Amino acid sequence: MSAAQPTPPEVARWAARAGLHLPADRHTEVAAVANHISSVVEILRELDFGDTPPAIAYRAGQEIPDAAV
Amino acid sequence: MQPYELSLAAAADAIRERRLSPVELADSVLQRIAQMQPRLQAYVTISAERARRAAREAEREIVAGRHRGPLHGIPMGLKDLIDVAGTPTTASSQVRAGHLARTDSTVATRLAQAGAVLLGKTHTHEFAYGLTTPQTHNAWDTDRIAGGSSGGSAVAVAAGMATFALGTDTGGSIRVPSALNGVVGLKPTYGLIPRHGVTSLSWSLDHVGPITRTVEDAALVLTALTALTGHDPQDAASLDFASLDAASPTTPAADYRPTADPDLTGLRVGVPRNYYFDHTDPEVEDSVRQAINRLQALGARLVEVEIPMTRYIQATQWALMVPEATAYHEGTLRTVPELYQADVRTLLEAGELMPAGDYLRAQRSRTLMRQEWTRLLRQVDVIAAPTIPATAVKAGQETITWADGTVEGVSDAYVRLSSPANITGIPSLSIPVGQDTAGLPIGMQLLGRPLGERVLLRIGHAYEQTLEAMISL
Repeated sequence: MSAAQPTPPEVARWAARAGLHLPADRHTEVAAVANHISSVVEILRELDFGDTPPAIAYRAGQEIPDAAV
Repeated sequence: MQPYELSLAAAADAIRERRLSPVELADSVLQRIAQMQPRLQAYVTISAERARRAAREAEREIVAGRHRGPLHGIPMGLKDLIDVAGTPTTASSQVRAGHLARTDSTVATRLAQAGAVLLGKTHTHEFAYGLTTPQTHNAWDTDRIAGGSSGGSAVAVAAGMATFALGTDTGGSIRVPSALNGVVGLKPTYGLIPRHGVTSLSWSLDHVGPITRTVEDAALVLTALTALTGHDPQDAASLDFASLDAASPTTPAADYRPTADPDLTGLRVGVPRNYYFDHTDPEVEDSVRQAINRLQALGARLVEVEIPMTRYIQATQWALMVPEATAYHEGTLRTVPELYQADVRTLLEAGELMPAGDYLRAQRSRTLMRQEWTRLLRQVDVIAAPTIPATAVKAGQETITWADGTVEGVSDAYVRLSSPANITGIPSLSIPVGQDTAGLPIGMQLLGRPLGERVLLRIGHAYEQTLEAMISL
């Protein structure tokens, strides 16, 4: 876990800011899972996106297929 | 052979030729359900009387000369995320207590139009947010997990408790339980099958598709579900077939049923040199490589390929799925959080904390990944790889330890090889290719170009025919 990751009380405050009241007995468990998720997804910061736009969802037909069969 | 053991194609032929009545078939499958449900718990609800009524109606129509096609009179199960008017869609969750669907989902409508007979609704991992389906037991060993999230559908098909079923797949939820239970599962191209009336886990990753006992059966169900009616205005992601080039080999087909010719000459099968065989059980790898060699024996040319951006697959999948799932459950997470199972509740709550920046980075990563996979799929026609890196684990087992000492969560391991097809939207067909020494099924997936389902089904069917030929020797 990196030093920047929130503590259980901070997680509770952030959740409250999102409109979700977390009971005190859930702070530690939710913080642990949220921080684990954060540690997995933070790797995307390595990518150099340049002007790459977001793909909201996949759309078939955007590619130019050259199927041989 | 009892009627419940028949493949969809064999049952359809028997019904069309009046050698089997839909009522006999439904009775046989319902008896099988009565026998196996206590052990396997594949179904949430079983609608025996409704099924018998529908079977009698199918029989009347067929006798009167109104045969609708291969699904007419065929009994099937629907994952309990799929709406059927007048029945509850429980999502295998207490959160849905008292739910009643007001209208049919698009897929339920299309199956009803094809004359299929609904047996009941099958268990899912709660709201599809998990890879085990703990209520249900593996069809081959009841001490082991069914896999998920479409565990009930896969077990029902494997055990003869349905002639076919539908599942949904957001990170492998059709293919994983299909592989773990020795049946065929097809995750079609994103948007090919409309999802209107299907409870979402993650809108940009969700797919609906068939689970069957043979590849030919999957083709028959896919044909009925696409039905060339094309765009469903009730699902924004649904493809508009009219906008596609009718002459293209990747335009959706009127009939996906593969030809009998097993010759694969000219097809290029990509064999990954990285990712798909890393941290994979040696018995799984052996079976899959043997199956790939059989494709080569049928005429396919094997081409070693490099899977792109593998370092970012799990991060992209999570950063798309987690906030989308939390958004879907925003209301009930605030009103009835205690009704969720502990694992799902915690994931949904944790999802509230993901910054928009993470979600956008994942969407931009998806753009890059799609571009890279498009390039990859210009080199080959399909990619063949394991569906799952390990066979079904014991119920309650939480981690897998690999030979190099690495410890991986069971769900992470099962989703690892499936999620690239969800992120990129390409089709993936999982077929059984053997068993490990414990007798547990092993699955191989064929990944194809967007809308390349016909190629996947052709190769899968050719492979199955070689097995039948070997068995008959």
